[in-house]
Amino acid sequence: MLLSVSEFIGRFHPVLVHLPIGILLLALLLQQLSRKEKYAVSSPVLKLIWLLGIGAALVSCITGFLLSNNGSYDGTIVSLHMWGGIAVTAVSLLVASRIFSGRLDALYKASSVLLLVLIIITGHLGGTLTHGEGYLSGATEAEKAPAPVVMPAGNIQEAQVYNDMVRPLLQARCYDCHGDKKQKGKLRLDSPEAILKGGKKGEVLVKGKAEESELIKRLLLPKDNDDHMPPKQKPQLTKDQIALLHWWVQQGAPFSKKVKDLEQPEKVKSVLAALQQPATPGAETDAPETPVEAADPKAIEALKNRGVVVLPIAQNSNYLSVNFISAGKVNDKDLSLLLPLKKQLIVLKLSDAPVTDAGVSLLSGMAGLRKLYLDHTQVTDKGITSLQKLERLQYLNLVGTSVSFNGLKQLRGLKELKTIYLYQTGIKGNEWTALQKIFPGVLIDTGGYHVPTLVTDTTVVKPKK
Amino acid sequence: MTQKELHAQRLLNEAREASARLHTRRHFLKDCAFGFGSLALGSLLQSCGLGGSGAPAANLFDPAHPLLPKLPQFAAKAKSVIYLHMAGAPSQLELFDYKPELMKLDGQDCPPSLLEGKRFAFIRGVPKMLGPQARFAQYGQSGVWISDNLPHLSGIVDEISFLKAVTTDQFNHAPAQLLMHTGGPRLGRPSMGSWVTYGLGTENQNLPGFVVLTSGGKFPDAGKSVWGSGFLPSVYQGVQCRSEGDPVLFINDPKGMDRDLRKASINAINKVNEEEYQEYNDPEILSRISQYEMAYRMQMSVPKVMDITKEPQYIHDMYGTKPGEAHFANNVLLARKLVEKGVRFVQLFDWGWDSHGTDQSLSIDVGLINKCRQTDKAVTALILDLKQRGLLEDTLVVWGGEFGRTPMMENREGKQNPFKGRDHHTEAFTIWMAGGGIRKGTSYGETDNIGYSSISGKVTAFDIQATILNQLGFDHEKFTYQFQGRPFRLTDVHGKVIQEIIA
Repeated sequence: MLLSVSEFIGRFHPVLVHLPIGILLLALLLQQLSRKEKYAVSSPVLKLIWLLGIGAALVSCITGFLLSNNGSYDGTIVSLHMWGGIAVTAVSLLVASRIFSGRLDALYKASSVLLLVLIIITGHLGGTLTHGEGYLSGATEAEKAPAPVVMPAGNIQEAQVYNDMVRPLLQARCYDCHGDKKQKGKLRLDSPEAILKGGKKGEVLVKGKAEESELIKRLLLPKDNDDHMPPKQKPQLTKDQIALLHWWVQQGAPFSKKVKDLEQPEKVKSVLAALQQPATPGAETDAPETPVEAADPKAIEALKNRGVVVLPIAQNSNYLSVNFISAGKVNDKDLSLLLPLKKQLIVLKLSDAPVTDAGVSLLSGMAGLRKLYLDHTQVTDKGITSLQKLERLQYLNLVGTSVSFNGLKQLRGLKELKTIYLYQTGIKGNEWTALQKIFPGVLIDTGGYHVPTLVTDTTVVKPKK
Repeated sequence: MTQKELHAQRLLNEAREASARLHTRRHFLKDCAFGFGSLALGSLLQSCGLGGSGAPAANLFDPAHPLLPKLPQFAAKAKSVIYLHMAGAPSQLELFDYKPELMKLDGQDCPPSLLEGKRFAFIRGVPKMLGPQARFAQYGQSGVWISDNLPHLSGIVDEISFLKAVTTDQFNHAPAQLLMHTGGPRLGRPSMGSWVTYGLGTENQNLPGFVVLTSGGKFPDAGKSVWGSGFLPSVYQGVQCRSEGDPVLFINDPKGMDRDLRKASINAINKVNEEEYQEYNDPEILSRISQYEMAYRMQMSVPKVMDITKEPQYIHDMYGTKPGEAHFANNVLLARKLVEKGVRFVQLFDWGWDSHGTDQSLSIDVGLINKCRQTDKAVTALILDLKQRGLLEDTLVVWGGEFGRTPMMENREGKQNPFKGRDHHTEAFTIWMAGGGIRKGTSYGETDNIGYSSISGKVTAFDIQATILNQLGFDHEKFTYQFQGRPFRLTDVHGKVIQEIIA
């Protein structure tokens, strides 16, 4: 509600802004005219006009500020316009204070001229904001805010270099003047054929030689150079984007290759890495995308009474994580308290709990489980059998149990498994390779890491004499 | 209606009328002016970014159950944090930031361009440059450069994300440590561990949520404030456990006091406290009651968890522990045990990394190497041990100091120090993170040829705090505590999650 008030007030800016322009110009005019007897206005009236002008300028500043926060305007011009507006208000105050104190000295004259100039400039900037750049000089098409460059999501190595990366860049930064509407320099860049054809001065691409290609050369020229592209008043390509185009041309400007098909020097790797959007959160503990109804509060209460920690995995999520860490004396039967939560339960931590196969067998219906900690429990191969139907299971911790190869291989049907922890289990040294074959692509951590004791770990360095 | 009720009714009506009469036209205008005015002011302030969004979020503090587990704002990658702080600030130039160019300048006068307009803690006049005092090589698939001071860690670099361009604006230990852990260089703000236990509570009700362990013979310079609770309720401050003797003083019942008697006395104390609460309604009394109950439970659980002597010998060998001493390796092993038992935030401080060159133990050529030898094995063991237990996925391990060290050799007060040393340096140092949903085997940020300043991927303490909170399921901009009339954040008004190192 508050936001809409400020927005609402802000929208009066384009109307109100004409008041200070008119009033202050009028004040300046009357002030000058008053020097001649014939046109003189009485001093109180003049003062009133000045006050009105300053007030109007102040109101315009405030409304303008509110509008700039809500409207979508070009950042640099808005900021210039804002400071212009503030300067107008400040200088008009200065002029008025000179007049009010009757000191019509050089400062008064200078600031009057400054005020006139500021009003014109600020007004012009305001016009530019509403009507677009080049409105005065007759250009009809308003300049838009720089179009965002949309880069591919997902694995960057699988992206098409031209279609997914080069084309969006050209589209956002070049098509305006080198596309279907305009063909400056007789150059079009909106299709592979057009790019290869070049413009008035010939071809723009020298395949494999980025530095000799006009397309890249122009980008690399200093911004002040008249030949620099895009022209300096237009949105520019970033360093990384230029590096990307440079790389594409250097690699022979292919139109149908994927990123992985091209050589990737160190410098480009980092650019590509930056483009690679961080993988959408999808690790084990993240909430599944399909929402679920809230669990029965009575079932949760029953678990809590046994000292079990039951928590939604995040605010606004009904999916639950259950931890038996503080539950002192639980037994296998307590696991049946989990059954009413089978739709919601995705993380279950039974680490160190006195649970046996009988308890674990109760988990066979908990089909939503993604993360299961059974480390340091009494579970054996028999109990593992009941995990076969946990099709969503991604993480399984069996550290410190007597589970063996035969038990584990029953879980081969679990397609979503990502990691299994098997430190200190009954699996023998020669079974690891077989296990990895049963679970291709699953990270099987066998533990037993060793950190050797080096001579340097136990000796102390003495200063050299 | 009885006479008495009628009388009461009449009084009430009179009061209402009197109050209505007070609402004159002037009041109406004034209220409206205030109403409208404040409405506009509110939105004005909001557009300046001063006002909060709508009503301030209610604080999460439940005085009767201050440490009950609470849920994060979004699904978390990390459940616990182990923060290894090398107090005194280790030299990045002898550990992670390999600068062969600096070797070429070794012994030459520092160029004036590096000194103009800069202030150092101890360097005066024109110091000499000091080349890297260690040999470096590349390790792992990620090809990270690590010095021969860390022979163990170099074997596990593919588990780690290095932040090589960390900067700070504090060049003295205490303020820099406070900035790193509380988000401000001055006293009074809550530490990261306090924020986290305030926000998430702890899953194991028999242990504190935030444990602090120190080693190296000295406290960090910022003192206990660096794990203090600041303006958060005091129950969230770090519980400092001793690594020698009883982990917590007076944890064992004195002779002649058995468990039942202890229980009975605590019940009696709590009964008195409850009566006190009925009378005064002060929520701190409820906290006090729950603290007594927790202390009683801790008497059972703490000695067990804090006893590393029961660990098998190969674990001791792995960490290189020194049972019976106040040693960093013991603390690291303890940290693993605590996290395994559901402790939320374990903060380790190891003092002795302040390699100025003023004496043997505080020097680059002697002291630093010995500090590395004391800690390298244990840190490496921690990562591997967490990994083999399936805990590294949801435990975030952070290693770092409070600032870096200069590429120049320190010349304290213009004179040469007896040993090789480097001064405090704010413009570039290395911090690393591992586990807890952090990308494996990466390096982010770069320094210039001589490791003087960060040239890309610059991050600050706030960015690191934001990232840690993010891994725990908190948006650092929305995780606030209402205090003195405004919401406070760990990251104050700064911080950006370092997406580049998140898996």
